[in-house]
Amino acid sequence: MLELLWLVPLAPLGGFLILAVARARLGRRAVATVGVGSAGVALAAAGAVAAGFFALPAAGRVYEQNLGTWISAGDLAARFVLHLDALALVMMAVVTLVGFLILLYSAESMAGDEGYARFFCYMNLFVASMLVLVLAGDLLLLYLGWEGVGLCSYLLIGFWYREPANARAAKKAFIVTRVGDAALLVGLLVLFTQMGTSDIGGLLARAAERWPTGSSVATLAALLLLAGAVGKSAQLPLQVWLPDAMAGPTPVSALIHAATMVTAGVYLLSRMHGLFALAPAAATVTAVIGAATLLLAGTSALVQRDLKRVLAYSTMSQVGYMFVALGVGAWGAAIFHFVTHAVFKSLLFLAAGAVIAALGEEHDLFKMGGLRQRLPLVFWTFLAGAASLAALPLVTAGFYSKEEILAAAWAGPAGGRWLWAAGAVGAAVTALYTGRMVFLVFFGTAKREPSQQPGWAMATVLVILAALSVSGWWLDPRWLLGGTEIAATLPVRLAGTAAALAGIVLAWYFYLRRPALAARVAQSRAGAALGRWWIGGWGFDWLYNFIFVRPYVWLTQLGRDELLDGPFRTLGRTLDLAHAGMSWTVTGRVRWYAAALAAGAIAAIAVAVWR
Amino acid sequence: MTGEDVIILLPLVIVAAAAVAAMLAIAVRRSHAATAGIALTGLAAALAEVLVNLWLKKGYVGHLAVMDNQALFVIGLVLAANLVVGILSYGYLSRRRERAEEYYVLLLLAALGGMVLAISIHFATFFLGLEVLSVSLYGLVAYERGRLGVEASLKYLVLGGTASAFVFFGMGLVYFDRGSMIFFWVDWLYGQYGPGPLGLVAMVGCVMMFVGIGFKLAVVPFHLWTADVYQGAPAPVTALVATVSKGAVLALVLRMARGSPWAGYYFGDRAVYYSGGVCPSAPVFWILAAIAVASMFTGNLLALRQRNVKRLLAYSSISHLGYLLVAVLVSGAAGATAAGFYLVTYFAATLAAFGVVTALSGANGEAESLEDYRGLAWRRPALAALMTVAMLSLAGIPLTAGFVGKFYLLTAGAGAGLWALVIILVANSGIGLFYYLRVVWAMFERRATEEKELPRIGVATGVVLAGLGAAVVLIGVWPGPLAELVRAWMGGGW
Repeated sequence: MLELLWLVPLAPLGGFLILAVARARLGRRAVATVGVGSAGVALAAAGAVAAGFFALPAAGRVYEQNLGTWISAGDLAARFVLHLDALALVMMAVVTLVGFLILLYSAESMAGDEGYARFFCYMNLFVASMLVLVLAGDLLLLYLGWEGVGLCSYLLIGFWYREPANARAAKKAFIVTRVGDAALLVGLLVLFTQMGTSDIGGLLARAAERWPTGSSVATLAALLLLAGAVGKSAQLPLQVWLPDAMAGPTPVSALIHAATMVTAGVYLLSRMHGLFALAPAAATVTAVIGAATLLLAGTSALVQRDLKRVLAYSTMSQVGYMFVALGVGAWGAAIFHFVTHAVFKSLLFLAAGAVIAALGEEHDLFKMGGLRQRLPLVFWTFLAGAASLAALPLVTAGFYSKEEILAAAWAGPAGGRWLWAAGAVGAAVTALYTGRMVFLVFFGTAKREPSQQPGWAMATVLVILAALSVSGWWLDPRWLLGGTEIAATLPVRLAGTAAALAGIVLAWYFYLRRPALAARVAQSRAGAALGRWWIGGWGFDWLYNFIFVRPYVWLTQLGRDELLDGPFRTLGRTLDLAHAGMSWTVTGRVRWYAAALAAGAIAAIAVAVWR
Repeated sequence: MTGEDVIILLPLVIVAAAAVAAMLAIAVRRSHAATAGIALTGLAAALAEVLVNLWLKKGYVGHLAVMDNQALFVIGLVLAANLVVGILSYGYLSRRRERAEEYYVLLLLAALGGMVLAISIHFATFFLGLEVLSVSLYGLVAYERGRLGVEASLKYLVLGGTASAFVFFGMGLVYFDRGSMIFFWVDWLYGQYGPGPLGLVAMVGCVMMFVGIGFKLAVVPFHLWTADVYQGAPAPVTALVATVSKGAVLALVLRMARGSPWAGYYFGDRAVYYSGGVCPSAPVFWILAAIAVASMFTGNLLALRQRNVKRLLAYSSISHLGYLLVAVLVSGAAGATAAGFYLVTYFAATLAAFGVVTALSGANGEAESLEDYRGLAWRRPALAALMTVAMLSLAGIPLTAGFVGKFYLLTAGAGAGLWALVIILVANSGIGLFYYLRVVWAMFERRATEEKELPRIGVATGVVLAGLGAAVVLIGVWPGPLAELVRAWMGGGW
């Protein structure tokens, strides 16, 4: 069954090719069949591969499939090689399952869109790229997938490209992540030149052999990889693109900007965790970035009015937790949280999408309310996702994964009290904004009647994801991944749990019991100032605009008019003059032509005679 | 002439017989389709015979001609180009009032002339081929009997006659000095005297021969006729002038320069190459180099703001022959191979471009103004795509045949140390890009009003055009097989 591994990324790629070539000729039903079906084939193939994987002896559970050589230049031979180990298996399972469910949901939710085929075309390309990214056994192939998901993210954020704001958001996402991608590329090149191979396993083995712990080259390479991961995963300081990326359709936000692509950075750092073990400084930087991001994004989520932007900031904040886990060396916990987050965050996005569609494209939280009875299915599933996000103890999956991260931050090999404190405060904030969201949307007085209920496809997807969100510790992949157990003391664990519970209670008090109080706080002088600061994500957009965008635009304007065009214009004018000067020779008169021939002959003979 | 000679010369015999048959058929009954059928069948049969001859029979025909790999390669190229022109002409002439039958006789004779040039190793066959080719072209250029066509033909005739006189006089002087008219005997006699400077008489004779050759190649300063003739001639004939006429003469130059020391004379210890060449001398090298440089610049600069597509292609061909002269200046097999490859790419792209011009030219005049191409991409996307490919190839953009051709030229030039020429070639490619892209630009512009009806394209023409486009792209993407083929055939030997 393992031999089917190639089919996993190639099935969605095939779907993409079919849709790209024949999308004008296919009906909507055929488009949906191809678009969802290809992901279904990938899911089935992934299931078969997983079955084969578990049939392997537990000691050496690794499978490699070489699909040919890509580039062979000197010592460097990059192969199309798929590498399946426990980490890749977990990633593959999540990407194919969540991807399939979201595509199924989109088959219904996008049905009225004129770009239906284009949507599935891009989505299939995205799923294929993402699978290449997680299955790549070669860094260059990984980079191909990395750039592929970036491209699809760009295309899908700007999906409704007739709106200039959407195109701007797409460009912003692409350019900001590109900063990280460039750093990643440099990092990969450093690794190639130092190790002479692009095979991930071989490279890590050689790195462990040649570089002592804490060596400067290892730290440099790790920091460059981190920069790439930071860009893709929307962490400080490259986090500004994610809230704007919500301009895309909701299934895109669910799949790309919550479940899979933004966690590509987490995957990259997990895959290269051997390198980070050699560079403790870089690991510390990772944890600090994660902690800062989770606080920044959590507080920003508290004050957003747009439902999708709340979820966007929430995603940033949850990925921040994963970075904290990676930084303290508990990459298993990071992957655990990645799995649960993929489930509950995509659920939240999809349920939010159902709400937004039912209210006629209304995004504003304060114009919603009282939807508990009117959209019961959406309410209960949203509640399951929200409970998981807020880490409601014992039943929810999110509780177990977040608990592991907090425990690792406290007691892990590179943990620290401050990291734990940030995480615990963040947990309270998370619960607070989650509660705010739930109470504002589903409780209180109804301000608008929903116009539609989700159909069977959307409902099925929501129910499946909701069931997974409250499945407790069942999603924990660490038994498969291996790694050290973290034994945090009971009081620490209880304190983390208490923080989350406190947040929920606070939200209940502020937004359900005493909504006037919340309004008063928000309208007080300090509250309003803080709200203004936080709603823009702590003013980073303004800062970057000031530091980078404006000077750059100024510089390009300068170059456009003065520096570079001068020589080219002169060249063009010179050639024009030469053309004019040459044109008079072609007179159309034979006697003149014959004279030129004779003159040429005389000149040539003269040269020959006089040498 | 023995029976064996006839077998060796079979491709030429077939084409000549087809010409006679066509003439007789016209006398019996006038039929455009029948005459065209005879001519095209003759050309195709000769082309097939070339492939057979590759394995069957090669060798010398007396002292006059040789059928070796290079000859077969050039003959194949000439025949293929003539076949393409013939098929294009059929659709073109069907739309015209003029009687079309004699056209094919002239077409076959032009092919015959080109083939004679390809096998020539003697001044007699050289002159014979040159004249057969030229005289049939005079007739073809004026075939439409419009004012421009007759004027073009007369110009071509007067100037071509002058050029032939130069060639003839030059041959006489060389014979006077050397006592032989066979290329390699001239060369052999030279070898006996050792690598010293040529005698004055032979030198002047050589230069005069090259004046005539330069006229046929349309290189500066013998280029002025080009644009007028290109514009005046019917579009398929222009294609013939641009490809067969120039290609066959260039092949002759390559044979005369086989193992030429023109480059070696000045660049290092290249004594091994002193085994060949009619006119091995430093002044000839410098003259040719100057002509190459002048042609590149003049052709590109004249084309720069040209708004008539046929004239634009005329000027462009001047610069392309300038590029090809760089390969001629590179001695030995490397130069011949590069020139052979470039000829193929130039033939394919030029035929494709003129194929589009031909296909768009209806009963009421030629589609030659840039205006005729404005918005073509929206009305005839396939033709516009083909023209785009042809233009990009002529400009030497990667993934087209032209790029690979230029690449081989540059490699050969750099290998022989002709750095100045190489740099000038690259700079000129940059200049050329401007006017090639202008044609592409015009085709993709949207035009507001719907214009006159475009002629319909027949199946045969469509197939030929598609084949040309595919060839240009295929050679550009996967040049390996053709490069091997050219190396094997143009590299010399049997």
